[in-house]
Amino acid sequence: MNFEIESPLNKEELLKTLSNLQSKKFRFGAGFTDLLIEFKKFNPVETTVINLAQLKDEEFCSIRNDSGEIQIGSLVKLAQICKDTYIKDNFPVLHQAANALASGQIREVATVGGNICQASPSGDLSCALVSLKANCEILNIDGKIRNQAISEFFKGPGKTSLQKNEILKSISIPINHSKNLKSGYIKIGKRSAMECSIVSLAYHFQLEKNGKVKHAGIAIGAVGPTIIFCQETVDFLLKQNINNIDEVLKLKIASMIQNASSPIDDARASAWYRHQVLYNVAKSLFE
Amino acid sequence: MDKKLKIIGKSTSKLDGNDRVSGRSVYGHDIELPNMLYAKILRSKYTCAKIKYIDCSKALALEGVEYILTAKNLDVNMIGYKRDHPILKGETVNCQRDEIAAVAATSREIAAKAVSLIKVEYEEIKGIYDPFEALKTEARKINLNGQGEEKFGNKNIAESFEYSHGELKSMKKLSKVIVSRRYQFPRVTHCCMGTSNITADYSIIDGKLTLYSSTQVPFLYQRDMAHALKMEPSKIRIIQPIIGGGFGSKLDMLPFEPICALLSIKTGKPVQLLYSREEEFIASPTRQAMVIDLTSGVDEKGKFTFREVQITMDNGAYTSWGATTPFVMMQAYSSLYQIAACKFQADAVYTNNPNAGSFRGYGNPQATFSIERNIDLMAEELGLGKDEIRLLNANFPGEITGQGLLFKTCGAKPALLKVIEESNYKMKNREKQSGRYRRGVGLASMLHVGGGAKIYRSDGCGTRLKLDHYGFLTIITGSSEIGQGSETVLAMIACEELGIPLTHIKVINSDTDVKPWDVGVHASRTSFVAGNSLLGAISIIKQKLNSKAAQLMGCKNSDFVYENGFIKACEKEVKIDKVVREMHFGNPNKLCVAEYFFEPTSSFQDKDFKGDVSGNYAFASQVAEVEVDTYTGKVNVINMYVSQDVGRVLNPMGLQGQIEGGLATGLGYALTEEMIYEDGYLTNPSFHEYKLLTAMDMPEVHFYPIETMDEAGPYGSKGAGEAPLIPTAAAIANAVSNALGVEFLSVPLTPEKVLKALSEKNNHKTANSQIL
Ligand SMILES: Cc1cc2nc3c(=O)[nH]c(=O)nc-3n(C[C@H](O)[C@H](O)[C@H](O)COP(=O)(O)OP(=O)(O)OC[C@H]3O[C@@H](n4cnc5c(N)ncnc54)[C@H](O)[C@@H]3O)c2cc1C
Repeated sequence: MNFEIESPLNKEELLKTLSNLQSKKFRFGAGFTDLLIEFKKFNPVETTVINLAQLKDEEFCSIRNDSGEIQIGSLVKLAQICKDTYIKDNFPVLHQAANALASGQIREVATVGGNICQASPSGDLSCALVSLKANCEILNIDGKIRNQAISEFFKGPGKTSLQKNEILKSISIPINHSKNLKSGYIKIGKRSAMECSIVSLAYHFQLEKNGKVKHAGIAIGAVGPTIIFCQETVDFLLKQNINNIDEVLKLKIASMIQNASSPIDDARASAWYRHQVLYNVAKSLFE
Repeated sequence: MDKKLKIIGKSTSKLDGNDRVSGRSVYGHDIELPNMLYAKILRSKYTCAKIKYIDCSKALALEGVEYILTAKNLDVNMIGYKRDHPILKGETVNCQRDEIAAVAATSREIAAKAVSLIKVEYEEIKGIYDPFEALKTEARKINLNGQGEEKFGNKNIAESFEYSHGELKSMKKLSKVIVSRRYQFPRVTHCCMGTSNITADYSIIDGKLTLYSSTQVPFLYQRDMAHALKMEPSKIRIIQPIIGGGFGSKLDMLPFEPICALLSIKTGKPVQLLYSREEEFIASPTRQAMVIDLTSGVDEKGKFTFREVQITMDNGAYTSWGATTPFVMMQAYSSLYQIAACKFQADAVYTNNPNAGSFRGYGNPQATFSIERNIDLMAEELGLGKDEIRLLNANFPGEITGQGLLFKTCGAKPALLKVIEESNYKMKNREKQSGRYRRGVGLASMLHVGGGAKIYRSDGCGTRLKLDHYGFLTIITGSSEIGQGSETVLAMIACEELGIPLTHIKVINSDTDVKPWDVGVHASRTSFVAGNSLLGAISIIKQKLNSKAAQLMGCKNSDFVYENGFIKACEKEVKIDKVVREMHFGNPNKLCVAEYFFEPTSSFQDKDFKGDVSGNYAFASQVAEVEVDTYTGKVNVINMYVSQDVGRVLNPMGLQGQIEGGLATGLGYALTEEMIYEDGYLTNPSFHEYKLLTAMDMPEVHFYPIETMDEAGPYGSKGAGEAPLIPTAAAIANAVSNALGVEFLSVPLTPEKVLKALSEKNNHKTANSQIL
């Protein structure tokens, strides 16, 4: 594989590089854990890689917590997410998803932005972010920011709304309104590490003291062309008290989540399995 | 054997451990020779086709391309166990890995580019991928060089084995319970961390060929290579760089090896050929895929009566050593537990799948799986404890089996008792399970050769010793190290016997021009055979040292003690290096060297496969404790209890490594590993899709060695390398069945397979209750 490489060191250089390459073929590379595999499969032709690994920029590289939201730079590595105690305490779903991704070695280089822009239906971090209703902060060559809800950012397997003159700068997640949480990430695979999700389920519920569901997010991965936000289930849950979910309701919710999916057969699992397992793990949410 | 041992039995780090972890070890991939060229192979586009023409002109025109080899104008012999495998294919292709052309170029990139420029026109033929289809009379003859018609009455049979003992008919009559099942096993592969590699260096000046190769059998390889290339064997020198994993995969010489040699011969330059990981999956050996039909019986008292088994192996397009796995499998069927009658038939059948090879365990994991699953089923039907039935039928010391294997020592029963007790099997096996997570325990045993296996005319190993003027010992052994730690064990033995510290011992084992003959590293034989050979050489060198030392110390016929670099006798001592110097510079003016060749007493089996094939036999039992998630079907192995008759523990740390490594392979075989083919094409040639388990999936391993002190082995030891993976899949399948009450007839037990079995069981139940 053969390609040119540009390594901007700061935001100005990045925007300049990006402008210069507008009429050419280029790709961003952050941790390269997806990109190199793709290049190996489909040899790049006359392509320049914009290497983001050396970019030093606060907004791209850090996790910040202010003005009612938490902002995560697109170049933040998965390992940083795993270590962040604020995230661990407030967004268990995100912490668990990051921890479930690949292996310790990969997490040291793989980035949040890479996981999102890869737009894989089985992306673990992306699935958690969809359940958290994250917002994508997209920078264009003029330095302007475009905001877009993450579930709209995804357009299909491997497809995002990103334009040629844009780059994903960061994402933001609204901070919790309640300390009373039920939040987690369930990943189904054949082995305990280095595994692509066969099915994933991300959930983040904020509860009132009495258990009434105040805010909710549920996302399912690897069971459709993109990660799916289970709107119908969420609407239903918002009327419920988490302490009153009985056997019948539990199964109803599991069915609703299952109905939101449209899995296919592939080398990793059959549609039948995905459908079945999704129902089962959805059931387990309220056990 | 009661003398107190100083180092044998104490954990000793691998001699090459520091080099390995610090990156100093030189693997085949690290070799660089002056003017070296890089080779790449063009493989077939189709799994079954006629080749109409091959056009290399564009590739040849590429700058940096030095030679392109095709089947045209090649004067070579076919290779493989049955000599049915052309090195390069010129007329027909029979599987995905088939080699059509090979390029030697000045860089890897140019070689790859050149391969992409070679034009081949094919006429595709409908392939046969199912051995049962291949056996039908109307099937096409797959391997045109096969001799199945003449030898076995079917053109697509590559090899066939038949064995029997005892009175099958009357034993069937005696049986209270008879269980018949068909088991299916997929292809899996070794996943060596070092991909296949070779560097060939031919000298046009003297016609000698040096091969840097990771073969496990250098002397057979030398002979095979010479036959393939029509050369004199002695003109071929095999150097084995550090080998990045063998596990049986390097028992056969494969086409890429003579191809690389030929490119070096044609260009007169060194040529290197390295596989990519994808190529490794596609074109390195696999374990045999097979279908086993096993019927076994038990009488009303719980004594096993008979086993009748028919095995159909998917040989792939060409025949490797792997076709002889029935040789090992029949030992399991005839002799694992006491068996009054046994009838065994196995055919290796040509298909258009890639050719299988040999793999640690050599057929035994498949055989053991079927035997041990049937035992659980028979016990259930008879209402006898699954542990009791095994204990009742366990092999015993002094037993001569129906096949003629003589168990001079036998740890079968102690191993069973140990794992049953330690795992609390009895109690756990009876616990009724409900809820989402269900636990189960499964028990399985195995029998394997422990003292080599006479499958070649000699199963021996030579050793040369050289003690230098400074007290350093060089052990030149015929045996090979592929990571199993035998090198370290040899140094430990020399240290034990000669009192020379490990730091003063070198083991040379990597050059056929230097080392004496050995049949190769396989059959768990190296520590046994090379260890015995070394002990023989040590006893010769000791005689020489004793007599000189006696002279120097002025004492006779004493007990000589070798300790800390000294020889001690009659309350005097002399430094060992001084003795060596005095031998050289004084009378008898000789160097301190010795040579010994050890041939095990095992016998070549007769044409009915009867006879005592190994110097001793290894026995093992395992209990797997699993927790199955009934929501996802995922099997979590929590504990593995392993007890193995190793004769005697030589290096506890090395042994633990073999146990854990073997288990890892066995777990993968049981749960996740599977090469998935569509019409002969491998669909998952990467670690992403071929699910090798990771460290995160390892259970707690509880290991209990059984020491039976078998006098045939060094210090009483037996071969131990293959055993730990052999009963693992069987134990796990038994455990999952115990947890869920469903049966599994194939591996791997993937989450999907488990969930499907569960859902079928539940459907069945609801259907039944509706009827009620
Ligand atoms: C062995 C292995 C195991 C894996 N296991 C998992 C797993 O369990 N779960 C999982 O979800 N993923 C897994 N992955 C995939 C991968 O590691 C993740 O998707 C990772 O987060 C990608 O990040 P990266 O920085 O390496 O992306 P890169 O490879 O650098 O980039 C990925 C894509 O995003 C684009 N891109 C990157 N950054 C930006 C940006 N800021 N703006 C716009 N476009 C951008 C690139 O152009 C490219 O198309 C695995 C990969 C490997 C190799």
